[in-house]
Amino acid sequence: MTALLQADGLTKTFTRRGRTVHAVSDVSLSVGAGEALGIVGESGCGKTTTARMLLRLEEPGAGRIWFDGTDITALHGHALRPFRARAQLVFQNPFEALNPRFAIRRSLQEPLRNFGVPAHEHRARIDAVLERVRLTPPAAWLDRKPHELSGGQLQRVVLARALICGPALIVADEPVSMLDVSVRAGILNVLREARDTLGLAAIYISHDLALIRYVCERIMVMYLGRVVEEGATADLIAAPAHPYTRALVAAVPVARVDQDRAPLPIRGNLSDAPPPGAGCQFRNRCPDAFARCGAETPILRPVAPGRRAACHLGDRP
Amino acid sequence: MTLLDVRALRVEFRTRQGPLRAVDGVDLAVPAGSITGLVGESGCGKSTLGRALMGVLPSAARIAGGEILFEGQDLLQLSGRAWRKLRWRRMSFIPQTAMNALDPVQRLGTQMAEVLIDRGGLGRAAAASRAAALFDLVGVDPGRLSDYPHQFSGGMRQRASIALALALEPSLVIADEPVTALDVIVQRQVLDVMRDLQQRLGLAMILVTHDMAVVAYACDRVAVMYAGQVVESGLVAAVLGRPLHPYAMGLTNAFPDVHDKDMRLVPIAGAPPSLIDPPAGCRFAPRCPFADVRCVSEPPPYRYFGTDHRVACWRAEEADDLRDRASDPTTWANVEGARVPG
Repeated sequence: MTALLQADGLTKTFTRRGRTVHAVSDVSLSVGAGEALGIVGESGCGKTTTARMLLRLEEPGAGRIWFDGTDITALHGHALRPFRARAQLVFQNPFEALNPRFAIRRSLQEPLRNFGVPAHEHRARIDAVLERVRLTPPAAWLDRKPHELSGGQLQRVVLARALICGPALIVADEPVSMLDVSVRAGILNVLREARDTLGLAAIYISHDLALIRYVCERIMVMYLGRVVEEGATADLIAAPAHPYTRALVAAVPVARVDQDRAPLPIRGNLSDAPPPGAGCQFRNRCPDAFARCGAETPILRPVAPGRRAACHLGDRP
Repeated sequence: MTLLDVRALRVEFRTRQGPLRAVDGVDLAVPAGSITGLVGESGCGKSTLGRALMGVLPSAARIAGGEILFEGQDLLQLSGRAWRKLRWRRMSFIPQTAMNALDPVQRLGTQMAEVLIDRGGLGRAAAASRAAALFDLVGVDPGRLSDYPHQFSGGMRQRASIALALALEPSLVIADEPVTALDVIVQRQVLDVMRDLQQRLGLAMILVTHDMAVVAYACDRVAVMYAGQVVESGLVAAVLGRPLHPYAMGLTNAFPDVHDKDMRLVPIAGAPPSLIDPPAGCRFAPRCPFADVRCVSEPPPYRYFGTDHRVACWRAEEADDLRDRASDPTTWANVEGARVPG
């Protein structure tokens, strides 16, 4: 199977006040057509920077990216346009994503113009995409301005704008985090449908495993810039292989009365990370770390069918 | 024992279109030594209610009626000065982002000392040792009292503002979305600190949140708010386990569960009503799949269902049946007045 999007060895370092921060270290991934991959982790784990590199919004420090078989790592400006039309970003904050002075019609026309869709096709495309995000009848929404819409309705417009040029891939960074719970469900259902009916591939970035579970069949867990585990959603949540994933799954809030209130299997906090160098970055917080974890950096390797993890524990005598 | 008893409280905001009734006839009883969750979505009035209880409403808002009985006295009858004296000492506040409580240009130790000396009347040495004890209590190294807030992570800042809120041993702490801005692991750790301290110190706490899961994890009791009113309240086990109000049923069905692989989320279509010109009957009726003629015309009384479970719904007797129907997405898809997505 050829992947729709493939990345190999993506790395990004930033320098802040003379200090080098390894935002993303050696991240590789692939997303097939129609597949949804979730990238999960806490603030500062590098998930957003990874997504921005994948969309060529951020220059990778190292690594390569292929889209539909074409190496897009070195493309710039005009040469990137075909890619831009087919890989779309869904913004996190619907309240800031749209120009407040533009009516919905104009916000949706803009990408069509930018990507050279002939004017006589615009209205049909706009109607179809508004139907898809359930803003119906479309005519009732076209002349409204953003301030007349609720957060959920705005996010539907943001989705419509991402979908209107018929992308093969969308990348959504915390697509519902700004919305109320009762409204989130509707947006997530639209996203699921878009995948089922359009065969759209998607990368979701979130700190919320419950949300990721709802829309993704595969999950990648990041910790301090590295992928620590990846695998099929249901398996990974049912039986995490990496101790960080285990803590993350245990910490997901559930709205049920009967639930596990045991202390999380994790120590300290994010700032307790050891200095970069040999060894596992998670070892100071890991309840099961042993000598080798401080000496040798674990590499991401298969631990079960369809599952990879970067952890030495499986080898512990 | 009831520590805080709110009766028929109303809070209005001045707007150009007329008064907006952000809190409209709220009854809320908070027992001593327990955590009460105040849960609802944006604009339901939960934060305004929390601020009203602290006496720190924004200038466009005013209390339009009701009583706030705290430790036996009606706070609304107190002078501004007398109420100010209660703050920090008898009741205190933990805001959503600790940066709102902490002064960015002052060391944390200085800020703690200020509260302990100026408001608590402690001497300098006593304040210093109390500040260290408080940091210890919330799990932060007392050595870091000489740090500035920006040197702390989000979770540590939130712990510091908990320490500040507990400084003068209040009997009631009101926390407004205290863990919303935090990552899940830190969120759990901060909730554990709050829960642990609440039990050890026998505090009462009101936890304002949009998140049913935070309520399920940390609270003993819950009051569900919708459009400026409490629509259901009781023990968490009762309200989450067997909700009586269709809005509470809808909220539980809209919440993703990480351990459920076949989950189908059911959105609540439509949007909350205007609080300037609210509907005549039940405020949830326009979005409710079970609303009938009476629901639309007459506001439902907030009545007891059992000794400790209250609900404002005309059809609460049928709740068992309605709950089954509420879990079916098609039930919510065809509500008149909720055709417009939220």
